[in-house]
Amino acid sequence: MIPVGLSLVPDVVFLDLLHDVIRDEADYYELAPETLWFRSSSGALEPNGFHRTFRELVDATRKPVVAHGVGFSVGGASEADAARRTSWLERIRLDHEVFHFGWYTDHVGVSALGGLATTLPLATPMTDAAVMRTRGALEALQRIVPDVGVENSVFYFHLGDPLDEPAFLGRVVAGPRCHLLLDLHNVYTTALNAGFDPHAYLARLPLDAVIEIHLSGGRDSPAAWGGRSMRLDSHDTAVPEPVWALFDEVWPRCPNLRGVTLERMEDTVTVPDVAVIRAELRRAREALRR
Amino acid sequence: MTIDDDVLCEELLATALTAIDPCAALRIAARDARLSQASRDRLAAIDEDGFRISALLVARLRFERLLHGHPDVPDWLDRDAVGFTETFRRYHAAVPPTAFFPPDEARTFAAWIAATRLD
Repeated sequence: MIPVGLSLVPDVVFLDLLHDVIRDEADYYELAPETLWFRSSSGALEPNGFHRTFRELVDATRKPVVAHGVGFSVGGASEADAARRTSWLERIRLDHEVFHFGWYTDHVGVSALGGLATTLPLATPMTDAAVMRTRGALEALQRIVPDVGVENSVFYFHLGDPLDEPAFLGRVVAGPRCHLLLDLHNVYTTALNAGFDPHAYLARLPLDAVIEIHLSGGRDSPAAWGGRSMRLDSHDTAVPEPVWALFDEVWPRCPNLRGVTLERMEDTVTVPDVAVIRAELRRAREALRR
Repeated sequence: MTIDDDVLCEELLATALTAIDPCAALRIAARDARLSQASRDRLAAIDEDGFRISALLVARLRFERLLHGHPDVPDWLDRDAVGFTETFRRYHAAVPPTAFFPPDEARTFAAWIAATRLD
């Protein structure tokens, strides 16, 4: 049976409201390691208070943990970011000793554009050079966590044809123990915004490389933002039905799938959401039984 | 495409995304003669609505880092949301984002506030 996991976020309200769901409904946890750090006055990356909270939770529940970051900027070309990434690798190594990550994934693209803390995954050109840079970053991570991978990010603009992305991802994860994290809300969102059929994207994707699937929700950009409305991958609503439909369709075609993770953003969980999130975890598990 | 071209492309995109008018800065970047023709073509083909929303999200993520990292900001925001938002807008335009963690963002913001008051 493929396990169903929940992403844990550093948010006291999230952890309090979902206390029972986290312990009773999730088979494993997903953490974003960099959300559990701060930079001390010496410049070293140190664990913050949530690091201890999550370590105690994992010790108490004995549930497996996978890592999913956004900040390693696997496609970055800028030397200005090299020292930061080296320091992050050392911190990831220390965290792996604590949490024993089953695998480590980050978002395809660049989240430290030109060395700046843009922190939003942004598109890279889908060139041979970008493939090599991303593979290099994954190999650096692989020296710490043997199984690594990239997620198909949401990009609100592209540097090329978005339907070329599946082939690009396939080249990035072609190495041994390199995997794909298939985020179905990202596929749905990008398809809506860029105007293509999500099935066409999935048909081009190397589904045998998929180790994990992400399920989440989002909403349209506010009218006050101007321009045409675009769907946002905001992880602040229930998983929409079209994403469930994509899930039902695609997971049986992923022969190496090892987990399905439900994601919710910090600061977005209220009392009524608890039942929704519990039901979503159960719905994913039920789908995987069929 | 050479690695230097990728580096320059990244720097130009970073500058444009944090500019006051990101799409205007993107249009200028797409004409930069130092870039290869392929890179100029890619930048010229970018969906400007998506680029503008990306710039807004970069700013919002920074706003959230500041909100979580600076003990005075939540009160300031409650007291004077319009005033704080305008202050943040000027800060984001004046200071490139270099802080990945909330406390670092708070320190950068505090230093900018202090320098601005000195001015």
